[in-house]
Amino acid sequence: MDAFDNFLTGTVTLFSDPLGIMIFFGGVIGGMLFGAIPGVSMLTLAAILLPFTAHLSPEHGIMLFSVIYCTGVYGGAITAILFNIPGAPENAPTAFDGYPMTLKGQAGKAVGAAVMCSALGGTISTIIMMLATAPIADWAISAFGPPEIFALVFFGLAVAASVGAKTFWKGWLSILIGLMVAVVGLDPVGGIKRYDFEMPYLLAGIHFIPTILGFFAVSEIFVQAEKKAKGSYVAPKLSVDFPSLTELIAHKWAVIRSIVIGFFCGILPGIGATLAAFMGYNEAVRWSKTPEEFGKGKLEGVISSETANNAATGAAMIPLLALGLPGGALTAMMVGVFQMHDMEPGPLVFINSADLVWVVFAAMFFANVSILFVGFLETKTIINLLRIPFQFLAPMILLLATVGAYAVRGLTIDVIVMFLAGVIGFFLRRSGYSVAGIVLGLILGKIGEQTFAQAMQMLHFEWSGFFDRPIALGLLIVGVITLMGSVYGEFFKKKPPAAETPTS
Amino acid sequence: MKLRKFVAASAIAFATMTLTANTAYAACATDNLPSGKDKPGGYPARALTMVVPYGPAGGSGQVAQAMAQAVSDLTGISINRDHKPGGSGTVGMTAFMATPPDGYTVLEHIDDASSAHALDSTKPNPATDLIPLVTSQITFSQVYIKKDEDRFTDWNSFVKWVKAQNGKATIANVSKEGSMERITMKFITDATGMKIQQISFDKGAPRYGALAGGQVDALFEQPGDVRKFLDAGKFKPILTILKERPSAFADVPSLSDAGLKFEPLFRFRGFYVHKGAPADRVAWLQWAFQKAYCQPSYQKYNESKFMTLIESFRDTAGTRELITATVKQYRDVYKEMGLAVK
Repeated sequence: MDAFDNFLTGTVTLFSDPLGIMIFFGGVIGGMLFGAIPGVSMLTLAAILLPFTAHLSPEHGIMLFSVIYCTGVYGGAITAILFNIPGAPENAPTAFDGYPMTLKGQAGKAVGAAVMCSALGGTISTIIMMLATAPIADWAISAFGPPEIFALVFFGLAVAASVGAKTFWKGWLSILIGLMVAVVGLDPVGGIKRYDFEMPYLLAGIHFIPTILGFFAVSEIFVQAEKKAKGSYVAPKLSVDFPSLTELIAHKWAVIRSIVIGFFCGILPGIGATLAAFMGYNEAVRWSKTPEEFGKGKLEGVISSETANNAATGAAMIPLLALGLPGGALTAMMVGVFQMHDMEPGPLVFINSADLVWVVFAAMFFANVSILFVGFLETKTIINLLRIPFQFLAPMILLLATVGAYAVRGLTIDVIVMFLAGVIGFFLRRSGYSVAGIVLGLILGKIGEQTFAQAMQMLHFEWSGFFDRPIALGLLIVGVITLMGSVYGEFFKKKPPAAETPTS
Repeated sequence: MKLRKFVAASAIAFATMTLTANTAYAACATDNLPSGKDKPGGYPARALTMVVPYGPAGGSGQVAQAMAQAVSDLTGISINRDHKPGGSGTVGMTAFMATPPDGYTVLEHIDDASSAHALDSTKPNPATDLIPLVTSQITFSQVYIKKDEDRFTDWNSFVKWVKAQNGKATIANVSKEGSMERITMKFITDATGMKIQQISFDKGAPRYGALAGGQVDALFEQPGDVRKFLDAGKFKPILTILKERPSAFADVPSLSDAGLKFEPLFRFRGFYVHKGAPADRVAWLQWAFQKAYCQPSYQKYNESKFMTLIESFRDTAGTRELITATVKQYRDVYKEMGLAVK
C-alpha cells in the first residue's frame, strides 16, 4: 500500500497549494490548446515555458511539464483529425482514419473517441507507472548500461522500420535517411566534425523538432495547397456528434490491445508514443475482420491510435525517471527542467526527491482524468477552426511552425531545416516513404550512436562483450528476430490488402 | 621524460594562479569597487543580451543565470539569456561574433574557448579578440569512486587495482578529444603508469549514473557538479587534482600527496564583450560584472558549487593572464600529443 499512500500524499501536496492548482489547470488547458492549434504543439509551449520554470519550485516546474505531456499528446489528435496535421508524430496514425471521418462529416465522433480513449489509455498507463517505476528504478542503473541501451535502440529501430511506409524497402530507407541526418554535427565521442560543410551552425546537428514540424505541418500545407491549385480541395464538414458509449464498448478489445501495446512501446527510449500509436493502429488493422475499411474513416482506427499513444505517456516516464533517459522531445525538455533545479532525472531522484516524484505521478493521473472533462468542453470550440478558410489557416500554420522551430534553440538554421523538411516531406510522402520513419531514425540515431560508442569503449572494442550481458543479448536477439520477421513477411508471406494512408 | 620537462616549464605559466585554499569570504574580491556607476551617455538604455553557448541546464547555463540575476539586481538592467548550444561552444561563439559591437551583447564562455584557440589559432582568442569582463568561476577536478566500493578504497589502492586490470578498468569522462578532462587524464596516466579506458559521456546525468550503477569503475568530474552525490553519500573523492588539499576535502590526497608532478588544469567560466565596443560602455560593463560577482546571491551560488574553495575571481587583466597561460599550456600538450596545431 506504499504506492497508494504516496499517491495520496502527492495528491494532497498537489491540491493543497493554490499556485499548484493554477499551474496544474494551466498545464491541462495549455497542453490541449497548443496540442490542438495547427503548427504549434505541446513542444512549442514547453519550449516557451522552459526558461520560466527556473522561477518555479521544482515540484511546480516538473509537474507542469508532465501535465502538458499528458494533455498535449491528446491535443495533437485534434489537428490530426480536423486538418490531417498531426500535432506530433504520435498523432500521425490518428489522422489515417480521423481525417477521412472529418471529410465524411464525423469530426465530432472522431474527436470524441480521441478524448475518451486518450483519457482511458493515459490513466491506466499512469496507474501502472506508479506501481512499476520505483521497483524498476532500483535495478535499472545497474542493469542498463550503454550496451543495453544500444540494444534497446536497435530493437526500436527494427520495429520502427515497419511503420508508415508503403513498402518494406521504403520503410528501411526512411529509417536510414533519419540515421544519416543524425550524424550531422560533432561526433559524440571525439568531437570530430561531420557534414558541417564549414558552416559553424551545422556543428550543432539537425534537431528533430524542426524536422517534425517540416515533415508534418509544412508538407501538409503543400499537399493542401496543391489540391487547392488543382481545384480538388474540399472544405471539411462541421459536426459535433460524439460517439455513443455503446460504440466505444464495442471496441473494448481494440482499447485493451492498444493499452498493452502502448505501454510496452512507451518504455522504449526515443520513440515511445509514436511507435505505440503506429503499432496500435497496425495491430487494429491486422486483427480486424474488415481491414479494408481502415483508412477510409473507421472509428476503430482513431480509437486504437489514440489509446496507444496516451498509454505510452505513463510508460515513457519510466525510462526518464528510472534511467534519466527521455522517451521523446517533451520528456527531453523535462530533463532540462530537472537540471534547471539542480536535479537529475534517474534513480537518484527517487532517493533525493521522492516527494516530488509522487506529486508528478498524481498530476499525471489527474491530467489524464481531466482530458475526459475539459476535452469535451474544449472540443466544442476547437471544431469551429474548421470554419476558417484554408487560405487564411495555412499562413497561420506556417507562421506558428516557424516560431516553433526557431524557439527550440534560437538558431535560424532550424527554420531553414523545417522548410527544407517540408519540401522534402512533400515529395517523400507522394513516393510512399515514411516521414515518421525518418524522424524515428533521427531521434534514435543520436542515442544509438552515442551508446554504441560508449558500449564499445566499455567492452574494450570486443563485439563478443555484448554476449556476456544477458539483457543486451536478449534485446539484440529480439531485434534480430523482429528484423527477420519483417523480411519473412515481405518476401515469403501472402500479404493482406494494404490500408490506405491519407497522409502518404 | 618529456612530460616532466613540460611540467616544469608550465609551472611558471600558472604562477599567476593564486590558489587560496581555506579562504573565508568575509571580504569579497570587488568590495573596493564603487557601489554605483554613472551610465555613460545613457547606456544601457535597454536590456542586454547574454549569449550562452550551452544549454540552460548545465554548469554554464546556471552560472549565466546566476550572474545575469546578480547584474540585474545591482544595476536594474535586465539581461536576456540567449542559449545557443552545440558544437562544443562553437555555435554560440559564432553567433556572438556576428552581433554588433555596441556593448549590448555579452558572451558567457568557458575554458573550452581557450583550448579551441590553442588547437586552431583561427578561432577567436578570448584574451585578445574579446574583452574579458570577469572570470567568475575557477574550479578543480577530482576522481571519484562509489562510496560503498570494496575493490579499492583510496587513491593508492585504486591505482594498484587499475594496474592489475591490465587496461580493462574504466573511468567515466567527457567526450571531446583535447578537452581539459582528457588532457588531465593523460597527465595522470603518464605519471602513474596505469592504463585505464576512458568512457565518453557528454552529459552529466548518464556519466554520474554510470558510476552509481557500477557501469564504470571511477568518475572524473568537478566537485560542484557532483555535490548532491557527495552530500547523499553516494560518491567519494579519492584524488583532488590540485597541488594542495582544499579545506573541504582535507582528507582527500592532492597531487603532491599522490606524488603526481604536473600542473593542474582548471575549469573556468567568465563573461566577455566585443573588442570593438565603445570604451566607456566596456568600462561600465566591467564595473557591473565585477561588482556583481560579490553580490550575495552570486556568492551564495558559487559557494553551493564549491567555487569558493579556490579564488574564482579574475578581473580583465587577470583573465587575460589566465587565458594566455592556459592557451600556452594546452598548445604545448597538443604538440606533444602530435595533434595538428594550427
